[in-house]
Amino acid sequence: MSATPQHHPSIEALLDYWLDDGDPAAIEAIDEHLMRCDPCGQALDDLVALGDGVRAAFRSGAVATMATDAFLKRVVGRGVQVREYRLPHNGSVNCTVAPEDELLVAHLETPLQGVERLDAVVTLSFAPDVQHRLEDVPFDAQAGEVLWLPKFDLIRNAPAHTAEVTLLSVDADAAHELGRYTFRHQPWPGG
Amino acid sequence: MQALDTPVDGDSPEARAARRIAAAAPGEARDAEAELYRLLAPRARRFGLRHLRDAHAAADLMQHVMTLTIEQLRSGQLREPDRVLSFVLGACRLTVMDQRRGDRRREDLLERYADVLQIADLHVAPRFDHERVADCLERLPERERSVLVMTFFDDQPSEAVGQQLGCSAGNVRVIRHRGIDKLRRCVDPGRRAS
Repeated sequence: MSATPQHHPSIEALLDYWLDDGDPAAIEAIDEHLMRCDPCGQALDDLVALGDGVRAAFRSGAVATMATDAFLKRVVGRGVQVREYRLPHNGSVNCTVAPEDELLVAHLETPLQGVERLDAVVTLSFAPDVQHRLEDVPFDAQAGEVLWLPKFDLIRNAPAHTAEVTLLSVDADAAHELGRYTFRHQPWPGG
Repeated sequence: MQALDTPVDGDSPEARAARRIAAAAPGEARDAEAELYRLLAPRARRFGLRHLRDAHAAADLMQHVMTLTIEQLRSGQLREPDRVLSFVLGACRLTVMDQRRGDRRREDLLERYADVLQIADLHVAPRFDHERVADCLERLPERERSVLVMTFFDDQPSEAVGQQLGCSAGNVRVIRHRGIDKLRRCVDPGRRAS
């Protein structure tokens, strides 16, 4: 629904407006509406603040997420110090975090053609009975890899341990293992 | 759609304040100027944030537009004070275009009318506790979390995020909306679903 003085834009429309997802006429209409409607302006302020919170949580390493190489290029382009590890299919790696690192990224090579839904299961050696399952992970089937961005603030302070990530292709009938990856973490020497 | 300069403006608090400024001797309607500033400065700042994507540039725009508006009202050059909202929106748009051209006039005006800027506090956007946001993000389904992170890292539209994820812009918008709705309700549990 387009904004008019009488009709308040929805939260979705305000988000489209903020992210430049609307057509120019819709953006102009919301510009005009916001010039007279403080409740909608405050709703937009809330959305912007929420976006700031998401950005801050990501930049501080407080959330784990899956992403794509195209997104990683944007992050690097913004000057973020990224430590990357590339693991071949079913591969393993010795890994660490340097004091100057701001983000940790693992490229997990895996065949993704024909995959309908991708899940990831993460287990840590110091809590082997606990499985962290990430369901319906976004992926680019053409890329042939998945990017895992673990909780950086947790890993930075973690003792030596092993993390295992298992990628699963999930369809209506069952889950099939696509690949298994092992990270042998060591704290930064002297860190 | 009703335009900003339709008669409803004449009954608005903004128009009443504008009329008082225009009717008084220059600089004598300080209360009305403060009232107009209190009402319109946050809106001008919000416009600047949206179109300039920079908090300092938005604050500059706000100050420039408000000093220009008050000066025009004081001097009688804004002949229809009832249309003050329309004037402010137009000034915001022109200032954005000027800023993009690197125009110096904005800075000249700020120097000339710096005294007017003291009449009201700057509206500060609300902030959420970042730990709370992080905790709520962790509770989202992976796809929604990824889309929100990829969107808000540098405020990308759905088409750009879709290209990075290998899916359609429409799909991104659906996931984004679902995710932001859950996040809002988690961060502020008293909030209704949108």
